[in-house]
Amino acid sequence: MILGLDVGGTQTDAVLIKDGRVLAQVKTANRPELLDTLAEALSEILADIPAESIRRMVFSTTMATNAIVADDLTPAGMIVSAGPGMDPCAFAVGPSYHVVPGCMDHRGMEVVPVDREAVRAAARAIRDRGIGVAGVAGKFSVRNALHETQMAQWVQDDFSYVAMGHIFSGNLNFPRRISTAYLNAALQPIHSEFVTTLQKSLDGRGLTAPRYLMKPDGGTVRLGKSHRFPAQTAQSGPAASVMGALALDGCKGVTLILDIGGTTTDMALTFHGVPLVEPRGITLGAYSTSIRSLLTKSIGMGGDSRVRVDDRGKLRAGPLREGSPRALGGPYPTPTDAMVHLGLLPVGEKAAADAAMAEIAGALSLDSRQAADQVLCHMAETIALSAEAFIFSVNCRPVYTIYEVLEGVRVRPDSVVVIGGPAAVLAPYLEKAFGLPVRVPAHAEVANAVGAAAARVTAEVSLQADTQRGTAVIPELGKEYPVRRDFSMDQALAMAKDALTDRAFEEGAQTDGISFAVTEKEEFNMIRGGMRAGKNIRVKISVVPGIIPEWKFQG
Amino acid sequence: MISAARKTGLVFFPAYDWAISPTHPEREERLLYTQDQVMEEGLLDVDGIVEYRVRPAAYADIRRVHFCVPDEAAVTTESHFVSAGGCLVAADAVMKREVESAFALVRPPGHHAMRVVHGNRGFCNINIEAVMIEHIRDTYGVRKVAIVDTDCHHGDGTQDIYWHDPDTLFISIHQDGRTLYPGSGFSNEMGGPNAIGSTVNIPLPPRTGEKGFLYTISELVMPLLEKFQPEIIVNSAGQDNHFEDPITHMNFSARGYAQLNAILKPHLAVLEGGYSVEKALPYMNVGIIMAMAGMNTTTVKEPNYDTDYQEQTPDITRYIEQLVTALHHQFVAQTPKEDINRNGKILERRRSIFYDTDMIHETQVEKIRRCRDCAGSLWIDSTSSKGWRALCIHLPKNACPSCEKQAAEWADKTPRKVYDRAFFQNRKKGFYEVL
Repeated sequence: MILGLDVGGTQTDAVLIKDGRVLAQVKTANRPELLDTLAEALSEILADIPAESIRRMVFSTTMATNAIVADDLTPAGMIVSAGPGMDPCAFAVGPSYHVVPGCMDHRGMEVVPVDREAVRAAARAIRDRGIGVAGVAGKFSVRNALHETQMAQWVQDDFSYVAMGHIFSGNLNFPRRISTAYLNAALQPIHSEFVTTLQKSLDGRGLTAPRYLMKPDGGTVRLGKSHRFPAQTAQSGPAASVMGALALDGCKGVTLILDIGGTTTDMALTFHGVPLVEPRGITLGAYSTSIRSLLTKSIGMGGDSRVRVDDRGKLRAGPLREGSPRALGGPYPTPTDAMVHLGLLPVGEKAAADAAMAEIAGALSLDSRQAADQVLCHMAETIALSAEAFIFSVNCRPVYTIYEVLEGVRVRPDSVVVIGGPAAVLAPYLEKAFGLPVRVPAHAEVANAVGAAAARVTAEVSLQADTQRGTAVIPELGKEYPVRRDFSMDQALAMAKDALTDRAFEEGAQTDGISFAVTEKEEFNMIRGGMRAGKNIRVKISVVPGIIPEWKFQG
Repeated sequence: MISAARKTGLVFFPAYDWAISPTHPEREERLLYTQDQVMEEGLLDVDGIVEYRVRPAAYADIRRVHFCVPDEAAVTTESHFVSAGGCLVAADAVMKREVESAFALVRPPGHHAMRVVHGNRGFCNINIEAVMIEHIRDTYGVRKVAIVDTDCHHGDGTQDIYWHDPDTLFISIHQDGRTLYPGSGFSNEMGGPNAIGSTVNIPLPPRTGEKGFLYTISELVMPLLEKFQPEIIVNSAGQDNHFEDPITHMNFSARGYAQLNAILKPHLAVLEGGYSVEKALPYMNVGIIMAMAGMNTTTVKEPNYDTDYQEQTPDITRYIEQLVTALHHQFVAQTPKEDINRNGKILERRRSIFYDTDMIHETQVEKIRRCRDCAGSLWIDSTSSKGWRALCIHLPKNACPSCEKQAAEWADKTPRKVYDRAFFQNRKKGFYEVL
């Protein structure tokens, strides 16, 4: 059996998957301590299940997210070498940020060596403040990691952990590289502690099967390997939901996924079963990072959003949640109250919900059933409008070749899949608002936990070869290989595939679950003085987010 | 998060699948390192810098400006429509006030493309600035536009298109035509009989540095703009005046370009030339984007700036000071005299035009109606060495009744037999007709 568990904002969902189907599901209220929350959910879902029958466990936790949002991070120092360009002081992050001389250009040619004395001085300054972890980042380190490697080497004895920017992403984006390195350093101590405690508690229950953590890119990573890149376990909830929709529905064609919760509705898009990704990286709290993530958009519209009638007699809902629904003892009318009033949702006090809808009905001069119906229509229409804007923004993404401009595929969903608590109730309203077929898969209310259980390992590597320089660089592996002048695209792809396979196995992938996607493949002749001086080859290849082979699609 | 003082739009289109030929300066690789640098600097994450997706321009956009002989398809590729379309996207973003200014970082370039197009001149087929400006005029009702062309080569295509238009001030700052392609752009070229003084050429000597460019902008270009009072300022932002450029001999820098942009504050900048793809363009473009966004550019410079950049020599400084003083006297202190004696007369000139890229010779007979009230109706008889002979009649947007009558008469009465093609570009009524 496979155990999937997703910790949400207020409650935690857990499921057991047997023979590729959902066997059991539970919802538990969150405790103040994350480990207590996990323990309780585990006890509930595993009540009658022998520990040894669990073959795989996947956790989507809020450990990293909460630490970032609550600013509960371990103080981490940063040492940065930048060279000319935007003033690197503008990217200052953390309590002890130091810029040292050193410059690498866009081709990975060293212009100014990094200043060892300055790096040592920065390390001393960081340590003098009692800080025990650090990050190093260099401009264009994904083209040539020399400066970051040197900096890390020179300070490794000063710190318990040193995060190097180029390991976390092959993307070009120096400010994001800085904040990603910083977050990894600042999360490392608490993440390691969390992993150790969780492992002990799982061992204590006799749960010895492989353990994974969910990532925001819709993939998983082995728990025991996650300390290498702790920040990539943050904000995994929306991705778990997307993967759940994918597992439960199959998402053929172009599908818009809506995850309707209490406070928000999260939107995502899948293209023939593959979710769209956020190209630059995820934003975590105040930090823009280069951590790979699925493209999701959250809007302030959920079952518990406040509903009111404005001065001009217009119905309004959201974007804020200002307490529970009336039916559950809250202060204001909500869509949940509308559902309870209409007898579509058997929760809380019906009388309170009736009163809430009577209030709205009064302001609209309608009877209360009509008012409740309008509330749900309005909610569905608001979601549809936001979805329209979301899809428009996806279609506005810049493209850089004539082929893409003229032939550019536009995303136009042909169906909608709805998951989350109110999914089934809202489906008919959404069908009307979108004018598209709307599907609500079985187990939609625990799709997030199903997604965690069924998601496979993902990984990505980038390769840039510069045959004039005679190198091929794979930053995510921290590797630079010598290449000959006749190095070709085929060789580059083969090299990247090998690297990706290594990386995926290292993260815990199973042999039969890997399928590659080449997401970038460009080759340029480098002409100097009218002659071909070399080739510039760029490849990005990834294990796309997907569902483990043993899962059985029910759609 | 870092934010921009001025909201700035960016249209980036490197055309990674288009080249004139594999080893041509105008090849796939040209904006590769610029893209790398812009991405690595994280400029697209800056709050207030907005990247837009390009759209292809339509035939109608091209036909506001050009007479393509024998037709558009024969003298363009898709890339020209996308590059021009990128400028339209930038213009819309500014005119709809989504941003304060915008930069179309697109290729292929356009400022050597003249009104009549038989092929490629100086790497250009379609004048992307002119297509943009006429779109702005038609869509947003703008009349007075100033173009400041800072490409190292004389913007002879743009000059040709606006030669007769008193509503467009065209200023070109370039390496002296005695030393560089296209060999024109002298200070006595100052506009046609209906637009004298609305073309200003500033030929700078080879090895002009930051100091000379910035002096020229502050002491001459800014007063010219102050006098003309344009509604929109466009910068043809060629970057081949850089000290690393392989095909020119100027001595400009990324830092200088950023300062120039900060002084000029164009509403729209359009990339033109610039062929030091690795050592100059990445830094110049970053400098321009940051300057447009009102960000501090003092830390932007080429990695080899401190070792390789050389200050402008005193003899060049003196030369430029004299040149600027003379031109200031000619165009700012005084106004070039209008030719009032020949009102209503049809004036004729004959020209020979060479297309260096496509090796085409074109000969033109041009007739313009001298008019005090509008830009004047225009008649062009163009013959190319490819064998095409075309009749091109242009009626300006603000044409007076007499000029309108003249153009209609030309369209009706010019004997058509000798021509392979005949076109009527009626900007007043907004149509383009193949006669």
